[in-house]
Formats: sequence, structure tokens, C-alpha cells
Amino acid sequence: MSDTIVKIENLVKRYKELTALDHLNIEIREGEVFGLLGPNGSGKTTAINCLLSLLNYDKGNIEVFGKKMTPTSYDIKQQIGVIMQNVAVLDELTVWENINFFCGLYIKEKKKRKQYVQEAVEFTGLEDFVKFYPKKLSGGLLRRLNIACGIAHKPKLIILDEPTVAVDPQSRNRILEGIQELNHNGATIIYTSHYMEEVEQICTRIAIIDKGKNIAIGTKDELKKMIHNTETITIEIVELDSGTLRKIKSLEHVYNAVFNEDHLTIKCSGGVHNLIDVLAILKEDGVSFGRVYSELPTLNDVFLEITGKEMRDTEGQ
Amino acid sequence: MFLHNLKYEFLNNIRQKDVIFWVMCFPIILGTFFYIGFGKLYEKEEIFSEIHIAVTFVKEDDIFSSVIGKMEAADESPFEFRYADTDEAEEMLEKGDVSGIITVDDEISLTVMSSGMEQSVIKSFLDQYKSQKQIISDISANDPSKYTEAINALYAEIDAIENNSLTDGNMNYYDTYFMNLITMAALFGMVTGVFSATNNQGNLSAIGARKCLSPNNRFITMTSSLTAAFITQLCSVIIATTFVLFVLKIDMGGNIPMIYLSGAIGAFAGISIGFFIGSAGRMSVAVKDAIATSISMFCCFLSGLMVGNMKPLIEEKCPVINRINPAALISDLFYCLTIYDNYARYLEKAVTLLIISAIFITGGFLLTRRKTYENL
Ligand SMILES: Nc1ncnc2c1ncn2[C@@H]1O[C@H](COP(=O)(O)OP(=O)(O)OP(=O)(O)O)[C@@H](O)[C@H]1O
Ligand SMILES: [Mg+2]
Repeated sequence: MSDTIVKIENLVKRYKELTALDHLNIEIREGEVFGLLGPNGSGKTTAINCLLSLLNYDKGNIEVFGKKMTPTSYDIKQQIGVIMQNVAVLDELTVWENINFFCGLYIKEKKKRKQYVQEAVEFTGLEDFVKFYPKKLSGGLLRRLNIACGIAHKPKLIILDEPTVAVDPQSRNRILEGIQELNHNGATIIYTSHYMEEVEQICTRIAIIDKGKNIAIGTKDELKKMIHNTETITIEIVELDSGTLRKIKSLEHVYNAVFNEDHLTIKCSGGVHNLIDVLAILKEDGVSFGRVYSELPTLNDVFLEITGKEMRDTEGQ
Repeated sequence: MFLHNLKYEFLNNIRQKDVIFWVMCFPIILGTFFYIGFGKLYEKEEIFSEIHIAVTFVKEDDIFSSVIGKMEAADESPFEFRYADTDEAEEMLEKGDVSGIITVDDEISLTVMSSGMEQSVIKSFLDQYKSQKQIISDISANDPSKYTEAINALYAEIDAIENNSLTDGNMNYYDTYFMNLITMAALFGMVTGVFSATNNQGNLSAIGARKCLSPNNRFITMTSSLTAAFITQLCSVIIATTFVLFVLKIDMGGNIPMIYLSGAIGAFAGISIGFFIGSAGRMSVAVKDAIATSISMFCCFLSGLMVGNMKPLIEEKCPVINRINPAALISDLFYCLTIYDNYARYLEKAVTLLIISAIFITGGFLLTRRKTYENL
């Protein structure tokens, strides 16, 4: 098993009355793209800021690269690159100057720095904009500049806090691909998001957090195996009588079936012919139906099953 | 690191549009307005040769005629008299060709359209004439040989009054506006100082958070930002001072290096206070910026930037304010050099300013000494 890079144990953080982090436990290993997934306000940013020793915390232990993280752990900080939720660049410096400025806080040697800045510019595809001021950049380009400022010094551990918020799909894909490339080049990534699709797409391991608690941790497949649900069948039906619904519910692998607004939603656990069995009952009772979908569980199902609520709140923003 | 941070923060500072406006252009614009506003007062020669007066004789008056005749003949007469009848005189007054009409009847009276410097000079001339008229007529009746001498004496007296009202302390009075202006340029450093503090605080700005995450000692980063702010402000003070001294050619005494030094001390005080404001409390950067701007304007107000006689007024009512108001102290530095020519007093003011700066900077560092934040 590879080395542990970040270890968060029993982390508790309170803002006055509100407990933002409630005994959070996370371990991140070298080479992972680790996803921190949770709805808005679940404590992702708070966890990151505690990890970075920017916020103080009430209880717990945080180790990075095997050493206790403190505000003056400069050797640890040297190895970390952070891309915060809010864009942090100086307005009156050009793209190049901004990257050079932030890179210079880590890399003293001028020649090496110049090369690093150049690489960061190329990596984020900002070649054509090096002389631009941030105000002249579009939202997506600005995010890319923000990322370039955070990674130019080639950190071993890169932390990204919702880097794709308010970014158009094209820029978003570019960012996601970039993150994977950074990972291939050897960096360990911590990625927070409330977009499940993104997390599913790029993360090798995922922690789902809700109300400051870590409710599940593992790879996508591990997480999906944790839950009862293995298949969700959705069928468009105009009218359905309660007898038919009762018959479907009594099928062996079906543990829940709900009919509302022209949709019959059936949750199954195990079994291989669930869809065929359901359709057979509909045929038998002479129910006509429209489109039929069968879906494997998503992270949303994982979240839904563990917390009893939907995570899809700000989808597609 | 120190120099790296210094370089880029300085670059970022001087490119800021509003900083450039408030810190660099505003003092120059205001200075130019002052200059235009006071311009006429400075050009005293011009006033003297250009006061035109219409004279209407309703009744003959030998004494008055000979007085103005004498004045017209003089080399440096302040007045140019134009003889006219009542209608013509009024027309000239309306057109602005003359500043006033002197009507000679049983009494000598003055008609003017507006009040101003020229009008009051004419009035003081007439007042002087009236008070001396009896003496002159007595002399001319009793000892005609002394007649010319008496008129000369009257003329000299009038001349003295006019010179008196235009110079003597008054010139310095207007110069103080320019000194206050440099003071203002220095104290605007408060705003620059605010940013030097907030840009390093993780809980106040995203930039600050990023800096806190970098492997650098906070104290060094902050000192570097503070230095960058000071250099920015120094540039602005140097520009304002140079403009006042060499473009507007305001006389501020011979010791030019000391004038620049005073500006530098002032800029340092401004930055320090701003740094403290930026460090204290959790208000947003915009609020702190507004507080700093208001405080600097208020200090300047108390030291007489907007209302000229504010400072003497405070000296009378509550002198302690003048002892500690940084704006008053900075402008005192200039007065010490120009008006009082008093280096002991200069030293006292300069030391007070440096102590104030030290207190605020230390306070700022103490307030931001914490390494992690309770809130972000
Ligand atoms: N400075 C603060 N003072 C008080 N409460 C705070 C503060 N910052 C965050 N919180 C609260 O702590 C909880 C966790 O917030 P946090 O920002 O960590 O969530 P998040 O998972 O990053 O959410 P998002 O997806 O919106 O970024 C929220 O309920 C939030 O309201
Ligand atoms: Mg967040």
C-alpha cells in the first residue's frame, strides 16, 4: 500500500454554536485523486482550511507528509499548492506577473521560476493572454489563471476547492483533464465538489461528507457496493392501478416502487432479470407504457440511501 | 522573498487606477485650482496698474482734482482714472471697463457693481482721502508751498494701506494651503497602508489567504508589503512636492531636501496609521478603506486644508488636537521650515510623528500576530 500523505483524525471545528466538522476522519494516499463530495455547507471548505492550518480547530489531529501540520510548517507548505474557491489574484498585475508573483513565494531561483511560470502558462493554455490583466479575462480564463497561480511551483499535493463553480462546460472539461494530467505527472490531488458527475469522472477515491461527518469513504465501486440499491428502473406510464403496483412490489429483488406524475420508479437490490420481470407484469395486466430506463446506482443513490436526502440541489448551475 | 513581494506589491499599488487618481493626480489638480484661485493675489503689480476708475464731476472740487492728478502723474500709480459723465460712467461700469465710479458732488461717493479686492482698494483710497481732506485744504489755504508735499503724504499713506492689505503675512497664509496639500498627499497613505495589511491576512482577502499558505514568515511578508506601500506613497508625495515647488513655484523656503524629508515622514505616518486600520477588526476591506479615507480627510480638515483658519481656531479651543493630529504635525513641519525657521520645533514635531507611526505599526503587528484564524 502506498504512503499516507494526509491524515485527518477526529477533526472537530465549531463556529460558535454551529459544529461545522464533527469528528471527521480522512486518510489520503500518495498518487490519489481524492474527492471530497458533499452538498453546500457540508464543511468541505472548512475541512480544507483546517488541513492547511489557516483555520484553528477545536479538536483533532492533522498530519501532512507524515508530520504534524502547523502554521509554520514551511517545509510542508512548500509542497502544497492550493486553488481556493474564490479567485485570488492581484488585479493590477498581468497574467504572467501574477503567476510569477505567487510562484516566487515558493521558488526563489529566478531562472527556474521563469521556466516554471512558462510551464504553468502552457499547462493552463493561457499563452495568448500572458500580457492581459485579470479584469480582461473571461470567467473560465480567470479560473484557469487562478489554477496556474496555485500550481506553478510544482507542488506534490494539490488541493482544489470547487475549481469549476460558474465555469462553462468546455472550460470545465479542460480543467478536469488538467487535474488528471497533474495527477499523472505525480501529484496527489484533493478535489472538493458538490457535482457528483465530476467526482465520479476523475476521482480514484471519494469521501462523502454531510453536516461535517464523513458518511462514506472508498472508491466509486466500493461506495456503490455499500448500498442496498443495485439498479433503478424508471418507466413512463400514464395510469397504474394499485393492484399492479402491489404485484411489482412483491417481486423478489424489488425493495421499493413508487408511482407519481406518470413515472414508475422501482428500486432493486441484486437479481439480474429485474427489468424483464417488471415488464412481464405490466404486459400481463395490459398496462401500456412509454420509455423505459434502467440505471446503475450513482453517487447520488449512495448519498440518498445513507442520508435519506437528495444531494442534487444545485445541479447544472 | 522580501524584495520579490516588495516589487510586485509596489507594481500592483502604483497601477491601481483609484490610487493613481487620489494619491497622485488629486493633489496636483487641487494644487492647480488653488494656484488659479490665489493667482490674482500673487500678482500684486498687475492689480495696481489695472484698477480703472471712472470719475464724474457733478461739482468742481479742486483738491480732489489735484490729488488724482498727482496720482496719475506718479510712476507706479495703482489707478487709472477715466473722466466721464454719469451715463458714460455707468455704461463703463456695467461693461466691466471700470471697477467703480467716483462721483464728485458736495460729498464724494463711490458706486460699485460687486465687491472684491479692487473695490476695497478704491474704497480705502476714498476713506483715506476724506479723512485727510480737511488737512489738505487747510494747508493749501495757509501755506500753498506745502501743498504738493501734503498730497504726496496722502498718496504715500494710501500706497501703504494697499501694500499692507496684499502682502505681509498674507502671502504666507496662501502658501500654507500648498503645504496642507502636500500633507494631504502624505496622509492619503492611510489607504495604501490599509491594503498592505489586508493583503496579508488570510481572513480578510483571498490574496492574504494565499500568502498565508506560502512557506514564508508572516512578519517578513508584512514588512515587505509595508515597505512597498511606503515607497508608493513616497512617490506620490515627491510628485506633489515637486509640482508645488517647481511647477507652481511656491516659495517654501530654501531648504528643499528638508521639505522632501518632511513629506517622507508624513507619508510614513500615513502608511502606519493605515496599516493599523487594516489590521484591526474584521470589517471588510472596503469598509476599512472608507474608514481610512474618512480619517485622513478629517485630519486634514482639522489642520486647515479646507477651512484656512481651522488650525488657529483649534489652537485656541483645544490645542491638544494640534499636538497629536498627524495632519497638523506634518503641516507644522513645513511651517517650521518656511515660516518659523525653527529647527528645534521641527525636531519636536518630527519625533512626535515618528512615535505615532511606531505605535501604530507595532499595534498592527500585534493585532495580526495570530497564525490561524477562528473564522474565514
Ligand atoms: N466564518 C463562518 N462563521 C460561521 N459559520 C460558518 C463560517 N464559515 C462557514 N460556516 C458554516 O459552516 C458550514 C460549513 O461551511 P463550508 O463553507 O465548509 O461548506 P462547504 O461544504 O465548503 O460548502 P460549499 O459547497 O457551499 O462551498 C456551513 O454551514 C457554513 O454556514
Ligand atoms: Mg466550500
